[in-house]
Amino acid sequence: MQAHLAITPQQRLTFLAYVAPFAVLTLLFGLWPIVLSVKVSLTASASALKPDAVFVGLANYRAVFADPLFLDSLKRTLIYTILAVILNVGFALGYALLLNSPMIDKGKTFFKIAIFLPVVTPDLAGYVVWRFLYDRSFGAINALASALDLPLFGGLSSPNTVTLALLIAELWRHAGFYVIIFLANLALCDKALVEAASLDGANRWQILRHVIIPQLRPAILINSIYALIQFLKTFTVIVVMTKGGPADLTNFVSYYAYQLFDQGRYGEATAMGSVLFACVLSAALAAYALGNRRPQ
Amino acid sequence: MKIERTILYVVAISISLFFIYPFWWMVMGVMRSTEALMTAPLRLWPEQWSFKVFSDIGSIGGLPLWRYGLNSLFITIASTILAIAVTALGAYAIVRSKGSVLFETLRYAFLVSIMYPYMLLVIPVYIVMYQLGLLGSYTGIILFLALGPIQFFLFEQFFRTIPADVIEAAMIDGASEWTILWRIVMPMAAPVVATATVITFLLNWAQWFPVMVISRSPDTFTLPVALLNLNGELGVNVQGIMALAVLTTLPTTLVFLAAQKRVMSGMADGAVKG
Repeated sequence: MQAHLAITPQQRLTFLAYVAPFAVLTLLFGLWPIVLSVKVSLTASASALKPDAVFVGLANYRAVFADPLFLDSLKRTLIYTILAVILNVGFALGYALLLNSPMIDKGKTFFKIAIFLPVVTPDLAGYVVWRFLYDRSFGAINALASALDLPLFGGLSSPNTVTLALLIAELWRHAGFYVIIFLANLALCDKALVEAASLDGANRWQILRHVIIPQLRPAILINSIYALIQFLKTFTVIVVMTKGGPADLTNFVSYYAYQLFDQGRYGEATAMGSVLFACVLSAALAAYALGNRRPQ
Repeated sequence: MKIERTILYVVAISISLFFIYPFWWMVMGVMRSTEALMTAPLRLWPEQWSFKVFSDIGSIGGLPLWRYGLNSLFITIASTILAIAVTALGAYAIVRSKGSVLFETLRYAFLVSIMYPYMLLVIPVYIVMYQLGLLGSYTGIILFLALGPIQFFLFEQFFRTIPADVIEAAMIDGASEWTILWRIVMPMAAPVVATATVITFLLNWAQWFPVMVISRSPDTFTLPVALLNLNGELGVNVQGIMALAVLTTLPTTLVFLAAQKRVMSGMADGAVKG
C-alpha cells in the first residue's frame, strides 16, 4: 500500500476497532510489565511488592554498579555475546556461501533441513541433550575422545572449556536461522555482476570479497543485530546446563538477576534488568546506525 | 573441479551430521536404559526396540504424563489462533492508518516491548497477572503467548505490498471496510496466514518460562516445563529425560518437516523487517 488513501472518520473508527485487541495485549503484557519493572527498580526491595512501596531513587542502580559480582557478570556477558555473534554470523556466512556454490547441486534441501531443525526444536530439549553429551564421565564427546586417544574435554565442569562448550551448543541451536537469512539474500544477489567480474578476470576470492560480500552487507547487519539481541539475553542454556557455574563464569546478567529475584532482592534484580535492556536497545540502535552510515 | 566438489560435499555432510547427531542420541536414549547410556554412550543402535519408558514415567510432579501433553496442545493451539487473529487485524489497521501518530506510537511501543529481556519480567508479569486475576489460569498463559514479533512483521510486510488501487477500486464500488477485509484482503493473505500459523505454533510450543511464571501449580505446566523439572530432579534418570525430550521435540519436528519450505522462507522474511 504505497500510495496514501484518505481516511474518513468512519474508517478511522473501524481501524481502531481492528487494532484494539492488539493494543490491549501490547499495553497489558508488553508495556505495563516494563513500566512496573522500572518502578520496582526505584523502590526498596522489602516494600517493592506492597501497595505502599518506598521509593529510594537510584539507590538500587548504585548498589548494582558497586557490586563486583555484577560488574564481572556484565563483562562476561558482553564478552560472551561478542564471541557468540562473531562465531554464529561468521559460521553462517561461510556455510551459506558453501551451500550456495553451484557445485552443491544435490541434497541442498537436506542440508538446509539439517541445520534448521535445531532452530525449531524447543530449546530446553536441545540443551538437555547437550548437557548429557558433555558429561565428563559418561558423555558421548569424552567417550569419543578417549576412543581416539585424544585429551578429554572438560565440557561444562572445567573453567577452561565451559565458554567453548556453551558457544558450541548455542551455535547448534541458532546458526540455522542465520544461514537461512544469508541463503535468502544470496538468492537475491545480482548474478550479472558476478559474471561481469569473472569476465574481467577476477578470481573467485576477488569476486567474493568485492562483488558478493558488499551485496550481503544488509544481511550481515540484520543477522548481527538479531544475534546481539539473542546472546545478550542468554538464559535458557544457563538454566539447563551450568546454573551460572563453574565459579560464576557463566553467571550472565539475566541469570544473575533471576537469582536475585529468587532471593527477594527485587529492586536490584529489576535494576539489572533495566541495565540489560539499555544494552540491548543501544546495541541494536548502534548496529543499525553503523550499517546505515557505510557506503553501499 | 571434481576434488573440490567432493571436499564441499564432505564438509556439508559432516556439518549436517553434527547438527543431527543430538537428535539421534535423544531418540536412542528412549530405548536404552540409563546404565547402558552411561557405559556405552557412543553406541548408535539400541540394545532392544522398546518404548516401555513412556509407561514407566507415568507421572511427574503428581500429574500424569498425558496431562502435560494435553496442556501443551491446548495452550499452543489456543495461543496460536489468538495470536494470528489479533496480530493480523492489528497489523492491517496499522498499515492502513499509515501516518497516524496514534498507530505509529503503538507500533513503536510493540517493538520496544519485544526487545525487553523477558526472563527479567518474572516479577512484573507475575504482578500483572495477579492484578488481573489471571495467575494460575490457562487464560493468562494464552494471552501472554499471543504477542510475538515474527508474525507481526510477516503480516505488516505482506499488507504493505497490497496495491492501494485494489482497495480504492473496492471503495469506489461501495464496499464497506468489513467487506474489503474479508472479501479482498484476507483471501490474498491466505498464504501468509498459513506461514504465520505454522511458525507461531512452533515458537509457542517451545515456550516454558512464561508458562512456569504464570502457573501456580503443575496443573497448567506444559511438556517443556515438565522436562525442566525432571532434568532438575536428583538421581539422573537419563532415559526418562530423553523420553520426555522426544515427546517435547516430536510435534515440532513433524510440523517443521511437513512445512519446511514455508517455515524457512517465512522465518527469513519475518526476520528482515521492513
